[in-house]
Formats: sequence, structure tokens, C-alpha cells
Amino acid sequence: MNTEAQSISRALNIGPSILGTYRTEIAIAIAIVVLMLGVGAFIPAALSAGNFANILQAAAPLVIMSLGVLLVVLTGGIDLSVGSVFSLTGMVTALIMSWGWGSVPSAAAGLGVGLIFGSINGLLVTAVGLAPFVVTLITYAVAGSLAFIVTNGRSMGIGAPDFWLLNSGQLIPGIANYVLFCVAFAALLELALRKMTFGRWFYAVGSSANAAHLLGVPVKRTRFSAYVFSSLMASFAGLLTVSYILNAESTAGASLMLQAIAAVVIGGASLFGGTGSAIGAVLGALMITVIQNGVNLIGINSFWQGSVTGIAILIAVLIDRFSHK
Amino acid sequence: MSDWEERDPDAGRRNENCTASANESNRPQTLVSVRGLQKQFGATVVLKGVDFAVQPGQIHALLGGNGAGKSTMIRIITGDLTYDGGTVEFGSKRGDRPVVAVVHQELAVLPHLTLAENIGIVHARSFIEPYSARRAENIASKALSLIDPHLAATSLSRMGGDLTLHEAQIVEIARALSTGAEVLLLDEPTANLTVAETERLFAVLQRLAQETGIGIVFVSHRMKEIRQLCDVCTIIRDGRTVVNARPIADLTDAEIVRHMGQPAHRNSNSEAARTRSDHVEVTLVGPGIELPVHLGTILGLAGSPDGPSGLISTLIGKAGTSQWSLKGEGWPSRPTAPIASVRNGIGYVTGDRAHKGVLAQLPIIDNVLASRRIREKRRYISRSERAECGDLVRTLGVKVDSIWSVPSTLSGGNQQKLLIARWLGMPLRMVVLEEPTRGVDIGTKREIYALIRKMADSGTIIVWWSTENVELLEICDEILAFDTDGRCTGPLAHETYNEDALADLTGMAA
Repeated sequence: MNTEAQSISRALNIGPSILGTYRTEIAIAIAIVVLMLGVGAFIPAALSAGNFANILQAAAPLVIMSLGVLLVVLTGGIDLSVGSVFSLTGMVTALIMSWGWGSVPSAAAGLGVGLIFGSINGLLVTAVGLAPFVVTLITYAVAGSLAFIVTNGRSMGIGAPDFWLLNSGQLIPGIANYVLFCVAFAALLELALRKMTFGRWFYAVGSSANAAHLLGVPVKRTRFSAYVFSSLMASFAGLLTVSYILNAESTAGASLMLQAIAAVVIGGASLFGGTGSAIGAVLGALMITVIQNGVNLIGINSFWQGSVTGIAILIAVLIDRFSHK
Repeated sequence: MSDWEERDPDAGRRNENCTASANESNRPQTLVSVRGLQKQFGATVVLKGVDFAVQPGQIHALLGGNGAGKSTMIRIITGDLTYDGGTVEFGSKRGDRPVVAVVHQELAVLPHLTLAENIGIVHARSFIEPYSARRAENIASKALSLIDPHLAATSLSRMGGDLTLHEAQIVEIARALSTGAEVLLLDEPTANLTVAETERLFAVLQRLAQETGIGIVFVSHRMKEIRQLCDVCTIIRDGRTVVNARPIADLTDAEIVRHMGQPAHRNSNSEAARTRSDHVEVTLVGPGIELPVHLGTILGLAGSPDGPSGLISTLIGKAGTSQWSLKGEGWPSRPTAPIASVRNGIGYVTGDRAHKGVLAQLPIIDNVLASRRIREKRRYISRSERAECGDLVRTLGVKVDSIWSVPSTLSGGNQQKLLIARWLGMPLRMVVLEEPTRGVDIGTKREIYALIRKMADSGTIIVWWSTENVELLEICDEILAFDTDGRCTGPLAHETYNEDALADLTGMAA
């Protein structure tokens, strides 16, 4: 009895073990390394520094988008509109630049797209009480069509000569901005989710909105901010992509929405809410990108990318399902 | 597979006619017999040799503390779990028909199906069989008319979600009977029922046992109900049967508690009139009543769930159309939201643990500290919270592996303690509790009583709603009674209250 009490008190005082908290994340990290080594066995160039840079550049928009979607998924919701918001942001930014505006005001207008659509999503979900799937399906459709309307479907080059700096400049010398943004956003979000009271609210709302409400958690505000954050991140990812390829297209984000949701799920989040982490979402996005990169390098017809990604999701979810208990 | 609808619905009459069905010839035979049952989960031995047998027509109480092994044994009998040693035998072998049906604490009535569909749904003969509403209704009305002819006649087309808890329970029992179950196992069936509904359920169960000869196993922590309903009792303790099917009249309450392995507490009543401050802290204002409440008072709310719900919803910040309000210096008259209640120092332990209580996916530390962070406006999660949570968990004696595990790994009693831990050791003005002892064993009940008293002694006002009048009479300084229509029928002072007076005021048998 006494020893039992002692062992309890000992167990209670230690912090969470890194292995326990980040079990899923570690498993995905290992899977990514294995995947890269596997591709490298066929194509040595896959393990070159140049290809790593390729992977990171290709992953950056997806990583940032996934962080946004993660927050919504944590609350038990879903955001289908991120791909359309991504595209529309690029189109609006490019259009405004074509009027002769500078980089900063154009980018700000682009982010405004995210703010507006995020607020619409958030309001319809919290104030009106509609289902997140329905709400974001609506904004997905509307933003998606607006992305064509603003330029009548034409793609648009970037006018401002300094806009490339957003993606490829080096705020910290030696580190490209797109890497910096991914790392900084992921670290900040992970810290907020673990170490800030309001970060825990996203989990609480996703776990049981009723219980969270009765405990004094501002459920509506938490949900609303998740949707705004998600759209803002999608907007930012859109800016980053436009800044990289210096061209905006109406369909740029079409495939990204499902990839972002997949990344979050691969990263250990439950679509029912309450579980998931920022690091997991980042690794999920990296995994998807590594798979696409590998498929390209090996020379498999790129039509297979979707199938390979789908199987990767299945494997990740199965591992998650059987590693818990 | 022969079907229920082809069987004679009135099995009771069939008994009198002594038709020679397979059921009848087995009549004196033991329905379920468990001998020397053993079960191990990993390194933990849960069952070390359990004996248990149910006879036809018997109402059998199955008792044991939280974690004694009752649920494991039940899950083995129903085939959910395999076992490592011993035997499980059934009186009649009938292919794939379940012999034992369990009516769970969490009712499994589907809200979007009608009552008839809820019962008929288990009778589909094959996957592709076209659905027949008439067949479902036939099955349902035959099963129901055994138990509650009124419900069978009036409510077949009502939606599952519109049924009261009592009706939902009746539907579950009917569903179990309709599959031809011979043993009905009820896991704390009265936990959500009012006293009147409990009486009705007991009448139904007794009639069923007598007329149809099925065996009924009753799992409960409420001693009074066990005595009222059951013939014999089996007590399990630490994975062993310590009392095997003894007539319940042979055992005193104290003996039962001792067999369950819990110290028999004396009724440490609050008779020793705890010194309370004379200062009226807050006045509860309701339709036709104003009740001044002193600091450190334990105020009981008696009556059916609808009665005190108005007062409770005002207190916890979900006032809506409630006619109650508060009057007192520094008290909000009607908190506008739960967050306002928390900020004003009003804590709440819900009676709906599963849906409104625990945050199932979150570690225990978040579950315990969620409101504290809000009340104390903590922005960051500091390392010191670990020790804080550890202390709370230890004070309450919650059995957990780690403060990082999730509540779904805990037993019901331990989850209940977690909900109370949320409000412990925090300067609160009031704590509202809904049936905090529901579904917990006697030992835990005592611990909860002691905790609540301690909170009250530190000056917190306790508002305690319970459908167990005896409990209220034991714990509370004052009791506010509500009748079955939800009207407040007046306060009882400690000096004057007793069971009869309370039964009178609530309109329900004590």
C-alpha cells in the first residue's frame, strides 16, 4: 500500500516524457528518413543538398497551410476552403501589383483575403451554428470561383521587382525565408499549444465542447480564432508560392486542400478533434512532399502520386491506431 | 433462427399452461453458472477465482467496490472478453442467441429512430432483408406489452431522442427481452432515475422475474435499493467471490460493507451543528421564495431532475428562461455565461460526466486545471502546475498512472473525483454539485462527503442536488425541496427535517 502510494507520487511528479508525448511524430520522422534513403538507393541524387532544398521549397507552402488547418482540426472542425483562399490570395495580390502598387500593400491586401474568408467561416460556424464542413464547402466554392473572376481566368505575372524577397530573401543570413517561416511558425504554434492556456483551449473544445463551455472556456472565441488563423496561414502560403514562381494562377491551390488535411492526419491529429500537434503537421507535410519528390525522381508517372500518398496516409493512420494501446 | 415474433408474447401465461417448450423443460436449471473464473490483463490479475450463478426467477444483487472485478466478469459472461481459467456455463444452448443481455448505464437508444425501430433493429434476419415498419412494430409492441402496456399502446412511433430516461431504460429492457435473453443484467439502472421512476422500474423487474422466470442481475451501490429489490447477493472483492448467493436478508448493511472491503463508517452526521457564520452571503430568489444562504452552508436540492434545474442553470451561467436569480453584495444576479460563473467563483460538477464533464482526450493535468487557469487568469502553463495537479490528485486518492494519462483510462469513481478536484483548494464562493456520488462505491462516497464538508468548512457554499433523499438528509444543513412539477415546495431547516417531511415536499417516496 505504502509502496503503491510512493510509486504513484513518483510517477506524478515527473514531466511528460519526450518519447511519450511525441511518439507519433518520432515515428513519422523515422518513416521520412527511411523513405528518403529508399529513394536514395535508386537515385543517389535524391540525397544531394540540392534535392533537400527542392523538397523544402516544395514543402514550405504546404507546411504553413497545414499548421492552419491543424488548429481547426484540433477543435473538431474542418476547413475545406484553404486551397481556394490560397489561389484567390495569389490572384488578388498579382492583380493589385498590376495596378502599380508596391509589394507590401499588395501582400497586405492578399492577407486581407484570408482575414475576410476566415472571419466568414468563423462567424458562420460560431454565431450561426452551421456545420464546419458545410460552411467551408461554401467558402471553398465562392473563393475558388472568385479566383477566376478577378482576372477573368488569366494567369498573372508579378509586377513588383522586389517581391521575390518574401520567399527567397534571407532575413537571417544563410537561411532562406521560406525555411525560416516554416520553422518559426511551427515553433511558435507548438509552444502556444503546449505552454499557453489559450493553446490548451483548442484541445479542450475538440475533446468536449460541452465540458469546455461549462469549465469557462470561451468556446466560440476559440473556434472563431481557429478559422481565422487557418485562412490567414493559407493566404500566407499563397503569397509565398507566388513570390517563388512569380506568377499567380487561379488553380494554384486546387490540390493543396486535401494535402493539408492529409498532412494533419498523418501527423497524428484526429478529425474528431482533441489530438494533434504542430510538429506532427509539419512532418506530415514533409512526408507528402518527400513522397511526391521520390515519385518524380524515380520516374514513375506522376499520375501515381495520389495513390502513393493515399497509401502513405493509410499506413500512418494504421500505425497511429495500433501504437496507442 | 426462430424468431421472437413467432413466439407467444406472454411467456407468463405460457408458464401456467406448462407448454413443453425448450425453455420450460430447463426451468429449474441454473441459467448462468460461473466457477473459479480467472482473468489476467498483462501482469495484472483481475479475477482470481470468481463464482457466480443465476437461477431462474431470481433477482440477484452483484456487489463489489470500484475495481473489484464485477465489470470484467460481466464482460466475460457476455462474450466480450476471453478468460484464462475456470468455467462459464449456460443453462440452455441456443446457437447464436444471446443468453445474457446487459442494460448499460449509458443507454443505447438511438435518438433518430422511433421506439419501434429501436427495438426492431436487432431483429433483421439478414443484411438485405427489406425493412418492414409493421414487423418492427409487432416485435416492439409484443416485447413492450410485457413490461409497460401503456407505453406499447401509445408511444411506438415516438422518436428515441424524445423518450425520458426511464422510458429509454424500459425500451432497452424490452429490446433485451425481445431477443429471448434469459438473464437480464442491469448496471446501475437507477443512476439516472428519480425515486418515483425507480419504484416503477422495480415493480416491472419484480413482475418480470416472477412471471417469465428470467434471471435478473442488479449491479448497484445503493444499499437501500438492493434490499428493496433483490433476493440474494453475491459480493466480489479483489477478484474473488467472498459472498456467494446468500439471501440478502441474512446480511446486515455493515456486514455487506465489510465484505466489500471498505471500512464501515459511522454516520458522521453534521448534527454537531457546525458553526456557521451568521452573515448572509447571498440570497437565492426564485418564484415565490427568497432563501438567504450563509457562508459555508451545505444546501441540498431535493426532487426530480426538472425541479432544481432552473436554480442550477442560473448559478452556472446558463440561465435562459430560469426564474431564479441571486441577490448579494458582489454577486452577479444572473451570470451571463459559464465563464462569468467561473470568474465569480462559482464551481460546477456536472451530473452528466460523460458528455459535459471529462475532456476525454486531454491529459489529467488539463482536465483538473482548466477552470483554475481561467479563474486565476493564468496565461502560461508553468512547470509548477505539475506539482499542483499531483497534489490535488493525491489528496483525492485518485488512482492514476501519471498526470499525463487521459481520463478514459480511469474508472467512473475516479473520473468523478477528477471533476471534484477541479474546484478543490481554490478560493471559491460556491460549488454546485449534481449527484456527485452517482455510480461510485460506498468507500468513495464517504470520501466525497468528507471532501465536500471540508470545502464547506473553509467557507464555500455548497449547493448539492441529489435524488437520494437519505444522502441529502445526512449531509446537508438545509434542504430546498422541489415537487415533481418543478415547483419549489420550500426549505427545510436542519432541525426539522426527516425523510417523511422530505417525501411529502417532493411528492416522491423517500
